[in-house]
Formats: sequence, structure tokens, C-alpha cells
Amino acid sequence: MNVSRNAEIILSNTESIPGRTIVEFYGVVTGNTVRAKHLGRDIMAGLKNIVGGELKGYTELLQDSRIEATDRMIEQARSVGANAVVNVRFATSSISQGAAELFAYGTAVRVE
Amino acid sequence: MELPSGSSEMDQDTLRGIELIVNFGLPLAIIVTAYFIGSYIERRHFASIISREAALHGFPVVTFDTMPQEWSAASATMVTGSIVVSLDYFKRVIAGLRGLVGGRIKTYEPLLERARREAVLRMIESARDDGYDAIFNVRLETSRLANARGNGEGTAGVEMLAYGTAVKFVSRFG
Amino acid sequence: MKFIPRTPREGINVSKTHPLAEASTLVVGLGLIVVAIVVAAVFLVEIALYFVPVEKEARLFRNFLPDDVVTVAPMDERLYQAQLLADRLVSHWADAPYEIRVEIDDSTLVNALAFPGGLIIVTSGLLDAVQSENELAFVLAHELGHFRNRDHLRALGRSTVLSLFFSVVMGSDASGISIKVADLTLRGFSRTQESRADAFGLALVQAEYGHVNDAWRLFERDMADGDLADIFIYVSTHPDSGDRVENLRRQAEREGWPTSGEVSPLRW
Repeated sequence: MNVSRNAEIILSNTESIPGRTIVEFYGVVTGNTVRAKHLGRDIMAGLKNIVGGELKGYTELLQDSRIEATDRMIEQARSVGANAVVNVRFATSSISQGAAELFAYGTAVRVE
Repeated sequence: MELPSGSSEMDQDTLRGIELIVNFGLPLAIIVTAYFIGSYIERRHFASIISREAALHGFPVVTFDTMPQEWSAASATMVTGSIVVSLDYFKRVIAGLRGLVGGRIKTYEPLLERARREAVLRMIESARDDGYDAIFNVRLETSRLANARGNGEGTAGVEMLAYGTAVKFVSRFG
Repeated sequence: MKFIPRTPREGINVSKTHPLAEASTLVVGLGLIVVAIVVAAVFLVEIALYFVPVEKEARLFRNFLPDDVVTVAPMDERLYQAQLLADRLVSHWADAPYEIRVEIDDSTLVNALAFPGGLIIVTSGLLDAVQSENELAFVLAHELGHFRNRDHLRALGRSTVLSLFFSVVMGSDASGISIKVADLTLRGFSRTQESRADAFGLALVQAEYGHVNDAWRLFERDMADGDLADIFIYVSTHPDSGDRVENLRRQAEREGWPTSGEVSPLRW
């Protein structure tokens, strides 16, 4: 599935983009978002904890968060004039009960 | 609990008033104070961050996991920068309410942003103070410190860690 | 590749919403949800009550006595007289469905409670606070009013449903906002119950004595008194004493019940 809604900026979690060369690099760009689950998801998760299985509600929640964090990172990249972000990494952590922070960071570069 | 009689004529209205104050007024006052003090601290921190970032503007920091070919390193070492921030009462209350209806917790965003930038700045500053010229393979980690009470509900704070490999460029003058 | 240092634009990772705006939206939204839930719970309990007929309740709870009550000895003169008084009052209540039992809880708190099955528990503190038989009669008659309206079951039902709901669902609400809102909403509902119990109680007192003198003297004393401790407990679970006295006075006037008459002294 697509990691972001943005087709113009190229993302890669490797240092180089196959078929392209990096001509300039600008620095680290980041995007983060903090989301809380709502009651419905929590109750479903509680039930699933008894029977096991995928917590679809949480999967969706974190996927949406990841897309949002990546979009923010891309916006930072665009604001420095980059057209690609390389060495992208994701980090998830729980900030407080029921709230998760999703973090995307990489180096903004210009490729040709 | 016996009050000395004749101390005051405590009628129903006073009782009702005291009850309202204790149940609603006091928590509200604490929350509002926490908000104002917190946002003042936040603004000051952001100002400091922005000025220090401007001072370090030319210092290369990248997440590449191999060193760019243009750099030639005389020496390298790992550097870290970290900070632990606490979540103030106001933010925790808001986050708790959000936990019921879901959605982005907008009050946490500036806090995490500051913490991350501060951690990175500390990493860069410690590298530069030791005479290094650039940092690559930067990684960022967040972790939650559990409340001392250990009941999993409270959060003592959030730690942001930034680490990477700092290099000293080969001097052109030998 | 060339390194060109550039800083990203400010504010991308931060929302433009002002925290206080977010806070007030959340609190108001949550408050409304809680009120809706309390109303739904009340409604549910009403429906449930319909399915529990009085006879079944009387049978089930005939010998019910809560565990944490420290009862006085059966030989206690006050218990005997209080039971007699209750029986006299009940005799004016046509088709009373239960056998009304009175027990005394040996506690210094001033309180009177109605329990399923026709049990009235008064504290010895209350018996010390009343100064005439008429005052005690009104307290007992008020509880009889609750029995007539089946309020005791309502209270039980509502508190069970809501505490179940809150413990399961609202665990993450650290500040207890939802509980406070629920509490306020519930009190609104119980105020109507209390006035209806008052009205029935006053009618019983009138039937027994032929006048309502001294019936609400206890509450008048509470209003004027600077002494918080004793009367406070009883009063805090009931509506404003001032309002109660006003409403009782008006009711007596409307019905043409005399507010003067011989006050009977306590018989112990």
C-alpha cells in the first residue's frame, strides 16, 4: 500500500534511489503525529484480547497515523526544495495510555 | 467533625458554593494555571531552539547510513543527545479525554516537536564542542517513562534520544 | 553530491488549533455524551422496573438486612416505638404492598434509608436529632413515600448500571470530569423523586395526627444551624432544605391542613 498520498516526492529507506543520482542534500526532515484511539476501538481490543486475532481498529489507526506523519515529513522536504527523501525510518512509541506517537524521518535530497 | 457553634451561619448556599468550588473551581483553576505557565515555558523553549538551530546552520546532519563520498574522515565517534520532558497536567487531561473520542492529540505535538529538536541540538552541540564537523546515520528514539506509582496510568515523562556517528574531516592543511 | 544546509519551514508538525479551544470542545462534547448516557441509563432502569412487580420484590427481600448495619438490640425501647409509629403511619396507606420493618443502625450519623422489601433503617444519630414524635413521623412517612414510588429500586438500578459503565469504559479519564457530570445529572433526577416522597409523606402525617405541625421542624433547624456535622449527611443527599420547607408549607396550604396542633413528645 502507498506510504503517502504524495506522488511527486520519492521516498526510499535506502541511501540511494535506484536509477537516480543524488545531486544535493539539505538535512534531516521529520514528521510526527500523536493519535489516541477512541472508545469503540478500545472495547473491541479488549474483547480481542480474550479471543486473539488482528486488532483491525488499531491497524487502521496506526496506518492513518503513519500516512499523516509521512505527509508532514514530505511537506518539510518540499519546503527546503527537495524532490526526494532517502534513508527514511519510522518509529512508534506510546506516549501515554492509549496514545501513540508516530515518527518518520529521513534526509531531504534532490535527485536527478 | 464538629464546628464550634456560632463560628458562622453556614446556610445551604454557602455549602453549595463550597461544594461547587471544590468539585469544579479548584481543578479548573489548576488546569488553567498549568496551561498558562506551560505555554509560556513552551514559547521560551521554542525561541531558544530556533536561535540555536540558526547558529548551527552549516553543520551537516544526515540519516545516510554510509558516509557520503565527498567527506573524508580523520576520525569518527558516536554522539548522543537526549532530553526528558514531562507532560503537564493540562495536556494529560486533554489526552485522557481524547482517549475516549479518538483523534490527534494536538496539545502533545508542540511538546514532542520541542523535545526532538532539543535532543538533536544537544547531539550536534556535543559533537561540535569536541571538534567534530558532521554527523551521519542519525537515529531518533522516543520512550515513555512510567509513573513511579507503576499503575500504568500516569506518565512521568517522555525521553527523546538522538544519536549518530560524528566525523572529523581530514584537514586540508595536514 | 553537494551539501546545502536548509531549514524546513516552522510549524509543519504542530497544529494550528489553540489548546484552549481544543480543551473546551472536548469537555463540552464529553459532557453532552455523559448526560446522554445517564439519561439512557435512567430510561433503561424504568423499563426494568416495569418487569419487577412489587409482590415479587416483597417476597425476595422479606428478610433483607445490609451487612454493614450495626443494629441495636431488639429489646431497645426506641426500636419498639419507632416500629409502632411506622405501623400507625402505614395503616393510612391503602394497599401498602410490604410489611414495613424498622431497624436502627447504631451510628452517630443522621440518616434514614429505604431498602428493598420494605426495610427502613434509621440511625441512632437521627433519633437523637429529632425532638418530637411528629418530626420522626415525617421522616418515616417520607421513606414510605419512596417505597410507594419504588425509588429505592431506581437508585439501586441506576447506580449499578452507571458504575458498571464507568468502570469498564471511562478508565482513561484521569480528571474525573465525566463522573462529576454524571453525578450532577443524576441529582437532577433524584430531586423530583424526593419532592414526590415528601408530598406523600406529608399526607400520611396529616392522616395520622390531623395536623402537620412540626413535621418539617428538623429541616428548619438545619437551615438555621451553624452546626454542620450532624444534619449534613442527611441533607446532602436530599434537595435544598429551604426549598423543601417552602414546598411543604405550600402543600399544606393548598390542602388546607392545619399547621398548628398538639405536638406529640417522643415516647422513649
